[in-house]
Amino acid sequence: MQQTPSDTPAMAARVQNLTKTFGVGESRVHALDDVSIGIRRGEFTAIMGPSGSGKSTLMHVMAGLDAATSGRAWIGDTEITGLSDLDLTVLRRSRVGFVFQSFNLVPTLDVWGNITLPFELAGRAPSALARRRIDALVESMGLGPRLRHRPHELSGGQQQRVAIARALATQPDLVFADEPTGNLDSRTGRDVLGLLSAASREHGQSIAMVTHDPVAASHADRVVFLGDGRIVADTPRRSAEAISAFMLSSEVGA
Amino acid sequence: MSAPTVAAPAGERRARRRARAERGRGASILVAAISSGFGTILIAATGFIAAWLLAAPYLAGRETVIAVAAILSALLVGVAMFVAAIVTTNTFATIVAGRTRQIALLRLIGASARSERVRVAREGLVVGVIGAAIGLVGGTAAAALLLPVARMAWGIDVDYSLLQPVLAAPALIVVVTTWAAAWAGSRRVLEVTPLQAISGAAERSAREAVGGRARRITAGMLFFGGSSVLAAGIVLGLVSPLGVVVAFAGGLLSFTGLSLGATVIMPPLLRATGRLFGRSAPARLAAENALRYPERSSRMAIGVVMGVTLVTMFAVASQSARQVIIGSAGGEPPEELLSLMDTFAAIMMSLVAVAAVIAAVGLVNLLTLGVIQRRRELGLLRTLGFAIPQIRRMVLIEAAHLTVTSVALGLVLGVVYGWAGAQSLLGSVGVPPEFSSPTFVLPSIPWATVGIVAVATALLTAVAAVAPTRLATAVSPIDALAGD
Repeated sequence: MQQTPSDTPAMAARVQNLTKTFGVGESRVHALDDVSIGIRRGEFTAIMGPSGSGKSTLMHVMAGLDAATSGRAWIGDTEITGLSDLDLTVLRRSRVGFVFQSFNLVPTLDVWGNITLPFELAGRAPSALARRRIDALVESMGLGPRLRHRPHELSGGQQQRVAIARALATQPDLVFADEPTGNLDSRTGRDVLGLLSAASREHGQSIAMVTHDPVAASHADRVVFLGDGRIVADTPRRSAEAISAFMLSSEVGA
Repeated sequence: MSAPTVAAPAGERRARRRARAERGRGASILVAAISSGFGTILIAATGFIAAWLLAAPYLAGRETVIAVAAILSALLVGVAMFVAAIVTTNTFATIVAGRTRQIALLRLIGASARSERVRVAREGLVVGVIGAAIGLVGGTAAAALLLPVARMAWGIDVDYSLLQPVLAAPALIVVVTTWAAAWAGSRRVLEVTPLQAISGAAERSAREAVGGRARRITAGMLFFGGSSVLAAGIVLGLVSPLGVVVAFAGGLLSFTGLSLGATVIMPPLLRATGRLFGRSAPARLAAENALRYPERSSRMAIGVVMGVTLVTMFAVASQSARQVIIGSAGGEPPEELLSLMDTFAAIMMSLVAVAAVIAAVGLVNLLTLGVIQRRRELGLLRTLGFAIPQIRRMVLIEAAHLTVTSVALGLVLGVVYGWAGAQSLLGSVGVPPEFSSPTFVLPSIPWATVGIVAVATALLTAVAAVAPTRLATAVSPIDALAGD
């Protein structure tokens, strides 16, 4: 692991000149084309773009799930380019949180088991401090009476709240949320977005959310647009109407 | 959500994954082939022995010997076919579970649940026909090779033609049982709703029901009734060697009860084994996985239990009997009788081991299919920070759960049944110095056999974990994110 000079202390994660290609020869496609971007600490950032814009690939590389073809990536001050699978695994375990579109809870574990899974994986019980944090999360998500329930006994919204609690439990450098409202009705979706922006606003949690929903993106402090593997716009918070208008006008809309 | 640019590789990956998931049928073909081949060989061997005995006119009681040999063969083949049917039922239950979405889609566009189930069962028929044909041809070929060897080795000169219509009987039975087993295993097709095709719901890992009430009662009655008969046989054995016949019936009944009640007996035992592996995350997840589908795990475990019980039973019975015979001979053992007994026990043990092999095939298959169907979940664990060695440990522990539990239970049952057999047969034999009966036969544990079984367990665990481990560690974190 390589430490970079502390000239970028405000970045929870960043990538530099990132390129990712799939296929070879004729069928070679650039999913990411020389992308450089940082996710600022404590901010709730939305990454938008239509299908095929490269937003998922960008997220996979930033989160240490996939390797880029060229370019460099950091999580906090740690460069993750070229790290071994084991190092990446340990890094994800302790410093990155994930929220997925399809909730992705472990079906054999109850709510408590799912939330504390990242600690279990590290082979340690949550510290007293972490326990208090988890208790507070459980409380604020209204999961208290559900701790011994298994995922299939919960509604979609409840499952997603468990996933958010799991992602926040370790106080990671960065939480990645991949279409977190994609499988929820609009009211439940709004609740989930409220929880994410509250985590960012009240606890300074850095969040990167991939979405193609302008309403979801309007909850973020910053909206980044991708199109054809490049960043086409990078703006501060906007209303859903403004985001929709931009998407329609720039023809990068979904 | 997934980019069109990556759709092609993802599609290929999915197609490959589907092909792998369907590979489960290979195990059913294999066990159908083994059991029908085994049946063919045993029928040929029994027929050969009968022809030989009938050609020797001076042998008294040869009809009884032939009848006993025929009954033993039928029982051995029956056990092998029963275990094979368990494996096939499990395989199809697992295949159906993995195909839920596809079945739901067909239901959505108008297929009836029943027609879907018939389709799955028809696959079972095809599997049964292929396996039985392989077994029939392979078994006949093996018998054709072995009989001349036996003729030469023992200088037997007897006119016995191998190719008889009866050789096809095991193959026909296997076709029918495989078909029936696939039908039984496809029961859950009926529970798939068309809605499951369109809802994005995550996997519902609702625990399978633990069998019907009627089945539990039947199992209990068989077990307790059979155990009483077994006890009666032992008591009768104190005055007459015929006690063994009664005990045999009791043993058969009580073991059938155990097999039927597997879903009641096995889960608590599996849970108890789970405590052996500690509380680390891989161990805890493995413990949960081993019980995720209690019905399938229990069925599979009971197959292994059956094999181990039978092998142990013959070993314990012969060892215990040996000591009584030595005792009753006043320390001068009749070597010929002992060696005859040892040979018989060895032959029986190797024959019942076939059932254990079939069960092992099923176990490997169950674990492999389980991993394939949990791909997404494994990807999630990798994403959240499960390192590859932890995944490997989890799969290994999951395999060990099933093998350790079933082998331990099999050893205990084998000792009990083996002792019961020896006691009921020899309880009336007088032992010096007083030559008084009844005699109490001490259960004698053949440690060599126990050692072999333990080593075989470790091997089976390792082998059972190889394929699933390879598949599980190949899962990339991104698999969790890719929608299906």
